[in-house]
Amino acid sequence: MTNPVVENAPAANAAVEGENGLVADEDCSKHYEPVVKLEKVETKTGEEDEEVLFKMRSKLFRFSKELKEWKERGTGDVRILEHKESKKVRLLMRREKTLKICMNQYVNPETELRENVGSDRSWVWHAVDYADEERDEALLAIRFRDSKDANEFKDAYDKARERMSGLRTQLEGGEQKAEPDAEAAVTEKKEAEAEAKKEPEQQKSTEKSSS
Amino acid sequence: MAQNQTQPNIPTFKVVLVGDGGVGKTTFVKRHITGEFEKRYMATMGVEVHPLRFSTNFGEILMNVWDTAGQEKLGGLRDGYYIQGDAAIIMFDVTSRMTYKNVPQWHRDLVRVCENIPIVLCGNKVDIKDRKVKAKTITFHRKKSLQYYELSAKSNYNFEKPFLWIARKLIGNPGVEFTRALALQPPEVIIPDDQIAQMNKEIEEASHIPLPDEDDNTDL
Repeated sequence: MTNPVVENAPAANAAVEGENGLVADEDCSKHYEPVVKLEKVETKTGEEDEEVLFKMRSKLFRFSKELKEWKERGTGDVRILEHKESKKVRLLMRREKTLKICMNQYVNPETELRENVGSDRSWVWHAVDYADEERDEALLAIRFRDSKDANEFKDAYDKARERMSGLRTQLEGGEQKAEPDAEAAVTEKKEAEAEAKKEPEQQKSTEKSSS
Repeated sequence: MAQNQTQPNIPTFKVVLVGDGGVGKTTFVKRHITGEFEKRYMATMGVEVHPLRFSTNFGEILMNVWDTAGQEKLGGLRDGYYIQGDAAIIMFDVTSRMTYKNVPQWHRDLVRVCENIPIVLCGNKVDIKDRKVKAKTITFHRKKSLQYYELSAKSNYNFEKPFLWIARKLIGNPGVEFTRALALQPPEVIIPDDQIAQMNKEIEEASHIPLPDEDDNTDL
């Protein structure tokens, strides 16, 4: 939906109706004393050293194992990003408007996208996701506008899997011990499992392993 | 919340969310937390405080949203819900005239405790075709100098606007914008072979359950 167009001058004391019957946005001019004094800051996105390999508008869902149904996670651009140095490729998605993260995970070479019953524009997969900076083992589904968009995503995703598989093969080719990332990942996995019950610890370990 | 420990000085505000039962208060808040849209109605008991974090060009802020019971039979609201509120949202449902009629009462209760705080009036469910509260009848915000937004928690129409407007007022700068939250590099995960079979079983089951609103692609 786009913002309604305001054509008439504001009617006396009533909300202004746009062409589509919706009330047009209009700013209330009343002054309030600010509650805090904050300065403008430089913000970091965490994507500074990454290159966008793919971008497409989509809707993400997460499967509720208790309710046996799909729940929305967010609408926005799904992006496949490659780190310029490590060459690792991740799936990152932010909700439109608030720009909050609803998906953040490395592409896993073993994880294939599968079809969802009766839909030619969605894919489902099993993920370990870190959107909220905590380990979340989740079944995810992603839906696109049409099957063309969905297939473009799958092509890009499968290419990303190959890249990640290539990186892993390199690691396994003898320098396993020398590569801190591989070790960290394994340790992280064990830690996360051990700490699944210890909530406060988990935040710290996530930070450690990602810095 | 765990995140508070990592950043103890994050500016924190109390935002009170009121309005009749069933207008969509909890659904609206959940939309901002998990992204989900809950169709089923379950009345909120008492109050639930939801911490909503936003990344802005003035730094991270935290809004503790007090999602309150709208139903009279669940006990109404005590002054404690309103005390030290920094801002408020009064919500009604544009498909129910009664919920708009009750807005002045919610406003009176609110300003009795919080005299001069930024208040947003929100008309929710504008995605529904059979609208009952027409634009020309919505006058209350003009009389009381409130901000007004039409919303659809279902389609996400304007869903960021109430919090963005509140952030601008509390920070005292119209240039406040939401910015991309910091996306750390996630840990790399290696899945052990013995777990793959279990995962495949789960994904097999889930892939046979259709996604919601599969016949509608107008939102993409």
